[in-house]
Amino acid sequence: MVTQILDPTDERVPIKRSLTPRPEALHGTIALLDISKPRGDKFLDRLEQLLHERAPGVETRRFMKPTVAKPAPEPIKQAILEECDFVIEALAD
Amino acid sequence: MHPPTTFALRDADGRERQFPPDGPVLLALVKEDCDTCNLTLPLLEKVHQATEDGLDVWVAVQKTDDIPVLKERHGLTMPLLDDDALDLSYETDIDTVPTLFLYDEQQNCTLQTFGFDRHEWREIAAESMTLAGRPDGDTQIEWDALPVQRPGCGARNYEPGVYERLQALKSGDLLSRLVDLAASDDIYEFMYEQGYTDGFPVVPPTRERVWKMLQGTQRDPQDEVAVMPPNLAPITVEKIAINAVMAGAKPEYLPSIITLVEIACTETFNIHGVLATTMGATPVGIFNGPIRDRIGMNYLHGALGSGNRANASIGRALRLCARNVGGSLPGGTDRATQGGPHRLTMNFAENEAASPWASLAVERGFEPTDDVATLMAMSGGPATVADERARDGRALAGTLAASMSCMQDPKSPMVDTLVVLSPDHAGIFGRSGWSKDDVRECIIEETSIPLHMRLRSDDAGCGLPPSIVEQFGGEAALDMPIAKFRDKSNIILVVAGSSAAKFSTILGGWAGGAYSMPASSKIGV
Repeated sequence: MVTQILDPTDERVPIKRSLTPRPEALHGTIALLDISKPRGDKFLDRLEQLLHERAPGVETRRFMKPTVAKPAPEPIKQAILEECDFVIEALAD
Repeated sequence: MHPPTTFALRDADGRERQFPPDGPVLLALVKEDCDTCNLTLPLLEKVHQATEDGLDVWVAVQKTDDIPVLKERHGLTMPLLDDDALDLSYETDIDTVPTLFLYDEQQNCTLQTFGFDRHEWREIAAESMTLAGRPDGDTQIEWDALPVQRPGCGARNYEPGVYERLQALKSGDLLSRLVDLAASDDIYEFMYEQGYTDGFPVVPPTRERVWKMLQGTQRDPQDEVAVMPPNLAPITVEKIAINAVMAGAKPEYLPSIITLVEIACTETFNIHGVLATTMGATPVGIFNGPIRDRIGMNYLHGALGSGNRANASIGRALRLCARNVGGSLPGGTDRATQGGPHRLTMNFAENEAASPWASLAVERGFEPTDDVATLMAMSGGPATVADERARDGRALAGTLAASMSCMQDPKSPMVDTLVVLSPDHAGIFGRSGWSKDDVRECIIEETSIPLHMRLRSDDAGCGLPPSIVEQFGGEAALDMPIAKFRDKSNIILVVAGSSAAKFSTILGGWAGGAYSMPASSKIGV
């Protein structure tokens, strides 16, 4: 009878990350991230338009992943982190 | 064989004996079902009697239950130590019983032997008497009545199954966490519940099995092979071996599995995207070189699916690594809309002898004698191309082109399609004198249709956006022929299967380009 097996997983304990507290109002700069999926740009165009209409104080900045198939390159993630207060990612499909 | 320096074992009375004792000692390791051990145990008893308090004679028995049997059979009074756990046998690395070690007062091992050699045993008996301070004493052993020589028996610590268990427990090779099961757990159900499987049962990765699997490679178990997406987890040789056991692989497959993991985790192949895509892609492994026969891969009947352990388990092991180490779980980061059965395992060898052309590996820059694995990302499952009428290369290429023209959808250009020709189909090209590039060029030409037929329309949403016409120079370009395949390199031709009939197979790639490119590597050791 088998009583012990070796763990086939990576054994890492995931780091617990809590959500950032929800702000009461939009402010500062919002990153709009296009992951390079078809029509992601259309979605973000419309969103950007709505943001400017309904939250006139905020600025938007557009970012785009070079390919949908890989995680965002580090420079893009760093730029969003340093230059923006919020990020909205346009997932397609 | 290493003379032990320290150990502690219990004797038949349950008393712990610490080695070395004070003074000289004769240590023997024996087992019950060994004729030579039974021949020599009375001799050891006589040495014990003759040396009295001047020398200890300790006999380690390789099984607890054999101690009372031997004690009664031979009327033994010397201490019989219990080495049922084989700790002492493993540490001394004996492969034969009986084995004898004689130590002097300073605990130096001065003589040792295994089996029965009358001359050596007589020498050890005499030296024992000397160490006991009775150089002129008589052991009462009638040496001339004994055979000149008798071979010993295989030690229990080297028996099949026992050896692997000892290595797994004691070698220190395995560092993965041990998962304990309750006595009431069914191991197979338990592994399902832990989420370790791909839907089929897996072989439980016990320490013994994993250690045995690791013997298939010369690499250190703790070598980090790659960083496995999507969780970007470091994956060691040991972790690959665990998942290889679960997949049903044999140790001789392990280098191939390690190589597939290495290829999969390259930037070029990008298994992150391959397994995350909503399109349901999967890595397909193609093997070339002598390794195909060496590990018994199938490239004949049913090469592309079912019935061959190497083909099935090598591909499955890669998938299990991605699942268990990389964390690629359906509905999690594996976003396949539908998937397909080829996502369980899709791995085969090329039938090089049946091909009129250089193998895939040679085409990609390797030598015919190299063992090579190539991974390709395929989102379309195997689709049969049937043509039993074509008698020349042109007609057969036309059939392939017609079949390939509708891959994914009839309008969109395609990238990276794998064409697995049966030997009969490959033979037609060979007899017609067609090269691989001849076939590719014909397919590109035959799948070319006017640009306007590749555009989206109200009655078919697939295809290129109408706005693309501007990039081709406006309306004048609407009749320009646009090929299904961008480049000859997008059509990968290999030969597999038996010469049963004129059926071949096509597998649609994923996205190519920056997404995932086919990648090859020599298989390591």
